[in-house]
Amino acid sequence: MRPSDRIFRVLSTGSAGLIMVILAGVALFLIIKAGPAIVANWSANPDLAGGTTHGYTSFWSYVGPLVWGTLFSSLIALVLGAPVAIGIALFISHYAPRRLAGVLGYLVDLLAAVPSVVFGLWGIFVIRPFIIPFQDWLNHYLGWIPLFSGQVSQTGSTMLAGGLVLAVMILPIITSISREIFLQTPKLHEEAALALGSTRWEMVKLAVFPYARSGILSATLLGLGRALGETMAIAMIISPALLFSVRILTDTGNSQTIAANAALNFPESNPLQRDALIATGLALFVISFGVNFIARWIISRTGGSRRLRKAGSR
Amino acid sequence: MTATTVADTETRAPRGPVPNALTSAQLPRFVELYTLAGALAVSAAVLAMTGFSIVGWLVLSAVLYLVSLGILSTVVENRRKATDRVVRGLVTIAFLLAVIPLVSTLVTVIIGGAPSLTWDFVTKTGGSVFDPSTLKVTIVQGAWQAVVGTLIITGVATLISVPIGILAAIYLVEYAQPQQWMARTVTFLVDVMTGIPSIVAGLFAFSLFTLLVGPKAFSGFSASVALSVLMIPIVVRSTEEMLKLVSSELREASFALGVTKFATIVRVVLPTAIAGIITGVMLAISRVIGETAPIFIAASFTSNFNANPFSGPMETLAVKAYADYKFPSQDIAASYQSAWGAALLLVLLVVILNLVARIIAKAFAPRGLR
Amino acid sequence: MKFTNAAAVSAVALASVLALAACSGDGARSSGTPNAGTSADAAADYSSLSGTITAGGSSAQANVQQAWTTAFTAQAGNVKINYDKSQGSGGGVTNWLNGSYDFAGTDAALSADQFTKAQTTCGSDGGVNIPVYLSGVSIIFKLDGVKKLNLDAKTIASIFAGTITQWNDPAITALNKGVTLPSTPISVVHRSDGSGTTNNFTTYLHQQAPAVWTWDAGTAWPNNVGSGQQGGSGVVNTVEAGNGTIGYADQSSIGDATAAAIEVGETGTFVEYSEAAATESLAQSGTIAPQGEGDLTVDIDTTKITDATAYPIPLLSYDVLCRSFKDADQGKITAAYLGFVVSKTGQEIGAKNADAAPLPHSYLAKAAETLASVK
Repeated sequence: MRPSDRIFRVLSTGSAGLIMVILAGVALFLIIKAGPAIVANWSANPDLAGGTTHGYTSFWSYVGPLVWGTLFSSLIALVLGAPVAIGIALFISHYAPRRLAGVLGYLVDLLAAVPSVVFGLWGIFVIRPFIIPFQDWLNHYLGWIPLFSGQVSQTGSTMLAGGLVLAVMILPIITSISREIFLQTPKLHEEAALALGSTRWEMVKLAVFPYARSGILSATLLGLGRALGETMAIAMIISPALLFSVRILTDTGNSQTIAANAALNFPESNPLQRDALIATGLALFVISFGVNFIARWIISRTGGSRRLRKAGSR
Repeated sequence: MTATTVADTETRAPRGPVPNALTSAQLPRFVELYTLAGALAVSAAVLAMTGFSIVGWLVLSAVLYLVSLGILSTVVENRRKATDRVVRGLVTIAFLLAVIPLVSTLVTVIIGGAPSLTWDFVTKTGGSVFDPSTLKVTIVQGAWQAVVGTLIITGVATLISVPIGILAAIYLVEYAQPQQWMARTVTFLVDVMTGIPSIVAGLFAFSLFTLLVGPKAFSGFSASVALSVLMIPIVVRSTEEMLKLVSSELREASFALGVTKFATIVRVVLPTAIAGIITGVMLAISRVIGETAPIFIAASFTSNFNANPFSGPMETLAVKAYADYKFPSQDIAASYQSAWGAALLLVLLVVILNLVARIIAKAFAPRGLR
Repeated sequence: MKFTNAAAVSAVALASVLALAACSGDGARSSGTPNAGTSADAAADYSSLSGTITAGGSSAQANVQQAWTTAFTAQAGNVKINYDKSQGSGGGVTNWLNGSYDFAGTDAALSADQFTKAQTTCGSDGGVNIPVYLSGVSIIFKLDGVKKLNLDAKTIASIFAGTITQWNDPAITALNKGVTLPSTPISVVHRSDGSGTTNNFTTYLHQQAPAVWTWDAGTAWPNNVGSGQQGGSGVVNTVEAGNGTIGYADQSSIGDATAAAIEVGETGTFVEYSEAAATESLAQSGTIAPQGEGDLTVDIDTTKITDATAYPIPLLSYDVLCRSFKDADQGKITAAYLGFVVSKTGQEIGAKNADAAPLPHSYLAKAAETLASVK
């Protein structure tokens, strides 16, 4: 091995090690901080008697609704956003005229560049008023579905509004990465499919999707990561409540998310309450891990791009 | 299961007789346009009776268009072609759907921000002027301190996390065996960290610096560290994905020519994947450049000018936009104006960064790949 | 409301008399001349000071701190002040107790527990609460066709508890004779984040209408009624954007929103916010209850507000600092700055720029005395 080889190997291994140290440090920090709040006696501790932790008997009863709210809002964002995002990526990579595709790709990247504060402002001043009549309509005709039931909001600060904004926020992440992956599909595979008489869609199904499956899932997960951890836009738009609810059109039935709850209550909290909020952050870690774990399991079951590549090189 | 075998099984067992594309019936060339016009007209007519709304009209037209095109194509052509046409329609609609919020966001930011985006706003430090005779304080809008703060904080964060992130991804893809404990641990931690709430990253960085420099640890650098914690997982994850996609033939060809691993990675693998890597890096930057919560925690808040990342509070554009919205001055309209101005400036900044990144990507990408 | 204007004048006069009585011998005078105030006044020369003050906390003080820091640094050119309004009262106090801040702004005085903890931060002398900013919680509403609204504590409590749900409810119409109120449903808007304003407002409801308002006072909104919005600006925005909406916010942040007049106790007189009415409010409801030497914790009992010249929902905010700083220079500039804040000029700047009510003179005199002893 030449020196340059060795140095580079050490460098990249060292970086991986450094990441391990940093991330493990953060995780450790979280656990140390969260500990006291998790083991505290919530009904007797005076520090937890007021403010955001008022009236909860244990950490678990406090974090439960937050976990639900986090999953629920991200799910809405994913359901609304992911198919559209993958559709756009496909449009840009395989349907749009080549010249147009570059411009379109750039436009979507632009959307990724919009910071979450701006999405928050946009949600408040544009989406909220826009969505009110639509919500009335949904509630009026489809109110028998639990999702659309309840006293419809007059302010527009609903889970639906928040979910829509979240969907728009995760869209560019999923699109940008999926697009790059779609573009990497080996031309030979595509041409082979077309040569066999496939229609364009069949070519996409046969050559593009199998090749890109792992990448699409990764892209979706990065989008989901953003949705799970999104703080300010949610905090600014949704009128939150700590409860288990599936209602998305009301003022009082929007399950709060972990990140937004932390941001909203952090300032007025005492040190133990801050620890409790950090402990809810730990719950977010567990969720992220769970989601990623399931996704990796799915990839390994269905065969990801790594295996494809090996097979292709035969 | 590979792409080729999938194709094999599908073609070996065709469903029904295979029509000859040259002789079987085909819809006229502009059928999609005609169908669209028809769908728009019909749904307009339907809605004219029940009460017209733009949203309803577009939704109904889209559904009508897809259904009628599907039926038409199934009848005249065949099911495969019909599916193809419907999917093409769906994909295009998905794209149009995404264009609406994109355009709406941009238009909102531009309309809101353009009036305050003067040369003075960009190049002067914001602050206020006190008039001792009337005791009145007049607020002077300016964003220079926030522009500088954004560039320093995000720049330092990028310098920290991009090399580390890319090198770690190289380790994961090129050097580590998938079952190795270190690779597994890094992958595990990166997975977990993609969902870290930004406020926690801020707390971590601030606590770290409190240990190092004492309680008055507010600094741009500690904010940079907080942002790095958020950036690293995104950089690693996206780079890893892009590197995985570089086909092994390229690597093997390079090795076969006697090129060392280092040179193969730097000269062959990285250039092939550069566009994707840069996209990932830009995503990471875009994600953190708009952060507010960790900046508040780690760098506190100020509207004073400060260009020293190692001491004292710093303001960023995102923080400015947020603070002007959340804590408006007595003149609420002026504060909102300034908030939109800062937001527009931030978007412009990221656009410029994106452009630069693309130029870099072009310069490094191998010729003829795209 | 003509009445309140007249009341304002008499309130100032009354407050001045009270103040004179309270701090006779202190040299405090209540004549209109700007410089005849309490000890640390505009006569002081700040130009020799230099350094950086790092502080933060209460967002209610956001505007007034901006005005004060501008005015102060105009005279003390070498002093830089960073006040972090994003931290909130709780965050401010936490950071201050950790030693990260020179002073913290907070809407609630240090608790007994925090007061004890301050001795680890500041040494045995501990910390002190200095009242610096007085304002009021305004009840803002938006109802097409209605520009004036009278409300009493019980009705406000019922609205925010969700038991009164329509604008033409008999309880509201009874208070607003001659005004036609529509049957529009009431949309309650409250804070979704922890807030000192919420604490002041719920304290008022808890004290004045305990039968209807069964929740304890606190920084978090206690019930699940209405729409939660982030920050005072979120509440003001949402109230302004809707119809039939009602919310509460610190007076300094309401902008052009319309505020209701609130009945004083059960006197039948309704008072709108004015600086003088807020000053009068504190003069009637506040008692200084020191937790330690030099401390100026104020107990506010809004049920004591009976005079028709006082605004019923006061909002008092403090700055807390150590009595002896580890770094003497730091102590000097911090005390000088806060001395300026509680000077007559400082309070006038607050009134001119943030709708703040000047604190009663007795408070200012005591605050100046405490700050003079800070080292």
